[in-house]
Amino acid sequence: MDLWIVSMALFVVSSLLGGLNYISTILNLRTKGMSMTRLPLTIWAMFFTAVLGVLSFPVLLSGLILLLFDRNLGTSFYLSDIVVNGEILPNEGGSAILFQHLFWFLGHPEVYIILLPAMGMVSEILSVNSRKPIFGYMAMLGSLFAITILAFLVWAHHMFVTGLNPFLGSIFVLLTLLIAVPSAIKVFNWLTTLWRGNIRFTPATLFAIGFVSLFISGGLTGIFLGNSTIDIHLHDTMFVVAHFHIVMGVASFFGMFAGVYHWFPKMFGRYLNSTLGYIHFWVTMIGSYLIFWPMHYQGLAGIPRRYLDKRGWVSFNDFPELDKMITIVSIIVFAMQLMFVFNFIYSIFKGRKVTSTNPWGANTLEWTTPIRPGHGNWPGEIPEVHRWPYDYSKDGREFIPQTEPIGENESKH
Amino acid sequence: MSTQATTVHQTKWWSGGKSPFNMEYGKLMMWYFLMSDAFTFGAFLISYGSIRFSQNFWPDPNVVFNAFPGAGHANLPLAFVSVMTFILIISSVTMVLAVHAGHKGDKQGVIKWMIWTIIGGLAFLGCQAWEWHHLITGEHAVLVDGKIEMIGQNMRGNPWGAVVNGPEVTAALTNTSHETLMSLMHSANASVSHEKIAAMSDAELRAALSTAELHVREKGPVAFGGYFYGITGFHGFHVFSGVIINIVMLIMTQKNVFQNKGHYLMIEKAGLYWHFVDLVWVFVFLCFYLI
Amino acid sequence: MEHPAFEEVSFHHHTDDAEFKRRVKKTTILLSVITIIELAIGLFIYTLHKSDVNRDFLILGFKGLVCILTLAKAYYIVSVFMHLGDEIRNMIMTIVVPLMLFIWFIFAFIYEGNSYKNLRNTYDLHFKETTMPKKHGNAETHEVKPAEKSGKE
Ligand SMILES: [Cu+2]
Repeated sequence: MDLWIVSMALFVVSSLLGGLNYISTILNLRTKGMSMTRLPLTIWAMFFTAVLGVLSFPVLLSGLILLLFDRNLGTSFYLSDIVVNGEILPNEGGSAILFQHLFWFLGHPEVYIILLPAMGMVSEILSVNSRKPIFGYMAMLGSLFAITILAFLVWAHHMFVTGLNPFLGSIFVLLTLLIAVPSAIKVFNWLTTLWRGNIRFTPATLFAIGFVSLFISGGLTGIFLGNSTIDIHLHDTMFVVAHFHIVMGVASFFGMFAGVYHWFPKMFGRYLNSTLGYIHFWVTMIGSYLIFWPMHYQGLAGIPRRYLDKRGWVSFNDFPELDKMITIVSIIVFAMQLMFVFNFIYSIFKGRKVTSTNPWGANTLEWTTPIRPGHGNWPGEIPEVHRWPYDYSKDGREFIPQTEPIGENESKH
Repeated sequence: MSTQATTVHQTKWWSGGKSPFNMEYGKLMMWYFLMSDAFTFGAFLISYGSIRFSQNFWPDPNVVFNAFPGAGHANLPLAFVSVMTFILIISSVTMVLAVHAGHKGDKQGVIKWMIWTIIGGLAFLGCQAWEWHHLITGEHAVLVDGKIEMIGQNMRGNPWGAVVNGPEVTAALTNTSHETLMSLMHSANASVSHEKIAAMSDAELRAALSTAELHVREKGPVAFGGYFYGITGFHGFHVFSGVIINIVMLIMTQKNVFQNKGHYLMIEKAGLYWHFVDLVWVFVFLCFYLI
Repeated sequence: MEHPAFEEVSFHHHTDDAEFKRRVKKTTILLSVITIIELAIGLFIYTLHKSDVNRDFLILGFKGLVCILTLAKAYYIVSVFMHLGDEIRNMIMTIVVPLMLFIWFIFAFIYEGNSYKNLRNTYDLHFKETTMPKKHGNAETHEVKPAEKSGKE
């Protein structure tokens, strides 16, 4: 446990340094012409992710240091009236809720640290593959910003039943439900980006669309759980498990997969195998819903999470067949991920070779580098940027890279 | 790296190619690192606040921090900590001067002011060591389970509870051990010699001790010590690392590293860190000593 | 330094030597004066604590004043010593805006701590009996008989 705390501290330090690097690079070291509103949404998302990390991890660090003291130096920050094996510990005056506060002050931003990069990549991939400019670029930025701010204000919605003050809880409910607004804006923008586009259903596109679907289903149950009164019934049930696995686990994994399928040609100069990719997508997509959808019903029926064996309780043992089905499906889905790993490693060496520098016809800068970029990414001068990254299907042209100067009679986007 | 130097002023700060903040990369990173560190300290101090608000009683800092080196048992509330605060403020000023000398490329100036800053930092650390030592080893009469004991301030115990009044002290004295009575006697009447105290019996000691002057207290909230040592310790650690950084900077200046580079930006970054340490102390001072 | 040492930095703030010295001196004096006022208030609170009259409200007011003075000190350190005041506005914003998060952070934690105290005083009588200071001051306690002291308010 102490080693775990120390390793977490090291992790905090490393993520802090990484985050600082992202922030200062994005703010300070952009290439010529790359104004903030010409940044791809992926980069914007990485920026806000770094901000979240830099500001929330230190709070966890403080919490962990206090925990380390409690465990080893006899302080009483979190401990009071604790009985272990019939013996009363000498610690008194601490508050266990305090640890929860410190933990969740990181804990909530952390889910956005996981989710925001996926959102950014999905925005980019959807725009590239539906051959349409992203719908509402500024709204996307605004909602990212709003999510970042709100992420810091809502941490105690994980603590409604810990003995948290109910009045404070009600403020946290309000702030939590506010997150639905920027989230809904993002979903709306993704859907309208897809709307009437020339969609190319590459595995990356499919995973991006899958992300949107999962984000909607997982996000909606978040609104349920954000209410402190409903939480009295639903806390610590399978409903919670279903909610956060869909929205934070599977959805961010989908974003990641989309990113990997999309940028694999950039990374290794070869394509991932698409057939395996399609199989990977469909099985994972259907499998995830089969695993987590039924859990909502279990949770509503009051079945708690974290139980190894429910047979001892009649009321918990209402769905043995469902549990069995979930187990089987999760084994299959897991096997699919192994297949993806195989595809990944196989394609690095044996995949179909990329022949052009810009296989997806994308506008962003990374596709202007050579197929195998060397140190410094570009040989010679770094490129200058003249436009935003989403000029797709404009003036009769399918795509216009960011490096291309704005033409004389070009229409505005 | 672009070879093309952007020397011309451009009106659009945000359009890339140069810093929108007109600030060097590393300095910007230092600023955001300090932001992050501010949240670490903020979290410490805020949890301290949270625990303090969850207690029915909290010690009065003027009672706890009333000692001064060499002043014996004199009651000098806040005197020592004000010395510490001024040391840190002054070392902050010398750091500003060092940074300014760096701007002008004045090597001797940088060296001079850096040395003063380092001395200030070491002095602060020395003061803190004395204060910790005093608090840990200091013995205070505390009512525990109906008898009086002598305890110091540490992570597990806090001798600064509410004042116990006369009759209760008298009652507690009858249960108090001989050693404690002796040390009580010693601290109450420093003029009486050790031999004389040692020769006195329990009853004599009890009779000689005046209950009004004993300042017997109950046990205070344990978290006080934990937070005090935890936060001032963490701050002291920052001061310590700041001193190390400053020493490294001093050596680098001496070796003409910055002279050859043509700028003293590293001094500026070390300066930011040092001012931050001072800034944190301002808040530690507020939270532990003033309110 | 006429030409900037870094590509990304295109001009330097020029401060005139005398002007700079004056500013540093002014800030140093200001910080010292504020610190002395704070100490004075701290000592005044001490005397208020010692007196028998209940002046909780006054003490709270003075503590608030000390907090405000501390914020003023912090402002001067950051803006003059750390030169944040001389930076570009946007830079200042990236530092100040995240600090706004502290407002809710502090409020929520302290409200929570207070609520925890009330909870314990309501449901944990042992806690209440052992930690609640006996009604204030040394003046009246001499009259209270030992038996009456515990438990009741
Ligand atoms: Cu959350």
